[in-house]
Amino acid sequence: MKRLGVLTLPLMTGVLAAQTPAAPAPAARDTSRQLVLGTAIPAAGTLVAVTNATIITATHGTIDKGTVLIRNGKIAAVGKDIAVPAGAQIIDGTGKYVMPGIIDAHSHSSGEAINEGSRSVTAQVRMEDVLREDAIGMYRELAGGVTTLNILHGSANTIGGQNATVKIRWGLPVDSMLFAGAPPGIKFALGENVRQTNVGNIPGRTPRYPRTRMGVEELLRESFTRAREYQAEWKAYEDAKTLRRKDAKNPEAEPVPPKRDLQLDALVEILEGKRLVHAHSYRSDEILMLLKVAKDFGFRIASLQHVLEGYKVADEIAAANTGASTFADNWAYKLEAFDAIPFNAALMAERGVKVSINSDSDERARRLYQEAAKAMKYGGASEEEAIRMITLNAAWQLGVDKLTGSIDVGKDADLAIFNGHPFAPASRVEMTLIDGRVFFDRNKAPTLEYLIELMKRRPRANTTSEGAQ
Amino acid sequence: MNRLVLASAGLLGVAASLAAQAPTGRPAVQPSVFAITNTTIVPVTGPRVAGGTVVIRNGKIEAAGATVATPAGATVIDGTGLFLYPGMIDSGDRMGLVEIGSVPGGQDTQELGQYNPHNAVLSAVNPSSVHVPITRANGVTTALTSAQGGMIQGWAALIDLVGWTPDEMAQNGRVAMVMTYPSVGGGRGRGGFRGGQAPAGDAAEAQNRQVRELYDYLREAKAYNARTNPVPQNLAFAALGPALRGEVPVIFDVQTEGQIRGVLALSDTFKLKPVLRGATESWMLADTLAARKIPVIVGPLTAVPTGDAPYDAVYAYPGVLAKAGVLIAFQTDDGGEGDARNLPYNAALATAYGLDPEEGLRAVTINPARIWGVADRLGSIEPGKVANVFLTTGDPLDVRTQVREVFIRGQRMPWDDRHTAEYLKWRSRPRP
Repeated sequence: MKRLGVLTLPLMTGVLAAQTPAAPAPAARDTSRQLVLGTAIPAAGTLVAVTNATIITATHGTIDKGTVLIRNGKIAAVGKDIAVPAGAQIIDGTGKYVMPGIIDAHSHSSGEAINEGSRSVTAQVRMEDVLREDAIGMYRELAGGVTTLNILHGSANTIGGQNATVKIRWGLPVDSMLFAGAPPGIKFALGENVRQTNVGNIPGRTPRYPRTRMGVEELLRESFTRAREYQAEWKAYEDAKTLRRKDAKNPEAEPVPPKRDLQLDALVEILEGKRLVHAHSYRSDEILMLLKVAKDFGFRIASLQHVLEGYKVADEIAAANTGASTFADNWAYKLEAFDAIPFNAALMAERGVKVSINSDSDERARRLYQEAAKAMKYGGASEEEAIRMITLNAAWQLGVDKLTGSIDVGKDADLAIFNGHPFAPASRVEMTLIDGRVFFDRNKAPTLEYLIELMKRRPRANTTSEGAQ
Repeated sequence: MNRLVLASAGLLGVAASLAAQAPTGRPAVQPSVFAITNTTIVPVTGPRVAGGTVVIRNGKIEAAGATVATPAGATVIDGTGLFLYPGMIDSGDRMGLVEIGSVPGGQDTQELGQYNPHNAVLSAVNPSSVHVPITRANGVTTALTSAQGGMIQGWAALIDLVGWTPDEMAQNGRVAMVMTYPSVGGGRGRGGFRGGQAPAGDAAEAQNRQVRELYDYLREAKAYNARTNPVPQNLAFAALGPALRGEVPVIFDVQTEGQIRGVLALSDTFKLKPVLRGATESWMLADTLAARKIPVIVGPLTAVPTGDAPYDAVYAYPGVLAKAGVLIAFQTDDGGEGDARNLPYNAALATAYGLDPEEGLRAVTINPARIWGVADRLGSIEPGKVANVFLTTGDPLDVRTQVREVFIRGQRMPWDDRHTAEYLKWRSRPRP
């Protein structure tokens, strides 16, 4: 998507994309591609019922032998004794488990570029500009029950680029994947990556400021000081326009607008609470530092990402009304991840933090349900709490909890259907629905089993010469 | 029951009952006889026994069954409502060699050069690594740890996750020779899903050169080992002797069908006993591997398919191999990043995509014991075997299952891992 310009556009483009009618089916792909990319683009169904299933709602318990009724992509009814209107498309849920579509609060799956790391502050760049609709990672995630992704800029710099919240409407053009109604956000980052400690000095290149955690704090304060000044300049300009003497005899000159700065525009949006901050962080000290900076400048951090030492300062995180989006049990991959413990999610939740479990990886994203179960194992989170960590809590962190994240009437019909309990060892995703439309169906997907059948029917010539000696 | 209760019971209970307790590793003084009573025994090699008792004496399983009596003087552990499993074996990780991934000083896995058969990782295993107690806390009691990089990495070690010194930890410090097979780009195979197509151009040439080098190297080593008392000695060639005589397995870290076919040809030429590891394209040759009785160490399943492979290829290939009759075991290949404790969840993913759950359990217990030649000592609950067992609330492949007790060599492991300790410490932080 091309950048069109100013301040309010990220929101507007999201809305426009949603209003654009679904694009016609693209030309048939060649066979080898099709095998991977899936088959037909799903048709929009008006009335769908998932019947006789175990329904894990994430907000009001689990319903045995229940029905989810979907009308025009929204959940119209959920419960035990729901009458299914004639003409509804029936998805037989007998023996199946239905949970809200999984939300990954930290993904880079469809980004063609991840880091604009040449400068310490790149608030002007947008993930929305580099999304790919054919990023295969997204299809595999859909096959793991994931419906919504928070596509984030990387962690190379203190204030990174703007995020894109997408629904994996696989097969549709990328603009149709943008999650209409999701508030815009931005990536912050702290610690080793920002300091470039693991990169080392590149010969011939000047090291980039900052190199220390104290420098990171200073840069944040500097940036928001500039943003406040810029905000004041624009306010002065708007005031001058309003107050300008307009009488014909003695008119004041038209005031000159300040120079438009796309970077500062984004920072002003943060100051005004219009852009959610998702902050990559590890150590407890840097978490406290960021919360303090945000408080001093009057904005809220929507989510701390990774937040592996969040368990040490859970009370402070909860008090700031900040979410925590963490790994289930990754640790030891760098020094600042050495104090990570698998009890982190449950302990933060116990102290009142809204916790989500994310992937930051095309691999982990495929099995977030398995990762969420670890919050039960380590620290004793309840089953519903663990389910919320990959659904409703993540939705809250992205500002879309009124739209998705649980099986409640009025919400988008984003559902993952499993052949067993999502936390049970032998369970897998059978079907994934977004807005009531089936975007993944294992029965129609090109599985390994299917490929082996194909190969049996068309045995390949044994032509391999590799290693023959 | 959550882990806190467990951890408290473990820390306080064990501390109170013992004269002394080491800060890490095993307690200095242990009772030598334990009886785990009224529990469901899952021997893995035979049917489950409900209401059974297992007696552990001097590090060994003395008796196991429904009618076993508790000996006088035994420390009794009530297993009511719980399940006893043989300790799990990870067939590929960096245990004791990597502490922190990104810190150069915390990594000790990669030697210079391509051919290092005379290197043996055991002497570099750090018995004080924090990964050791963290891993065993989930019932993984044994690990096959090995180096990486180059064409021949040297000796892998099979270690129990307890012991004051590397030698004490070792079940077998020279359990297998680790190699790879050239792929396009060379080095350790992480090659793409090329469907066995021969590479083209420069890459093919480089690969062919590497293959020739490997054959030449092994030919020279074979000739060297045929000599009596060769002078000057060549320690590298000498180290390959057992592998070239078929006395020890050779682990091949490979991925593609082309590499696997190469390994088969190489093994034929030099009469090697190959074990494939990783080998995500091995499903293409499942029948061949079964017929030739070549085991495959599968995993890690925490990986995405390469190239155009089906979305579930990595999850489903262990099941395809097992159904064809290939002996499989799981590895975590965690790169030292602390994933070895998740060994059973690799198996769980495979059972969701076609692997029989019982075979999934065997593939983390008795199967690896067989592949590594220690089935007389490890891998199942049978009298006479080493008492590596763990007591759980349920199926170890289920993430929600809690581990209640871990025994390694008949020693009751304290809950002294860093993660539990940090949890207890910070959970007690007063609200500010």
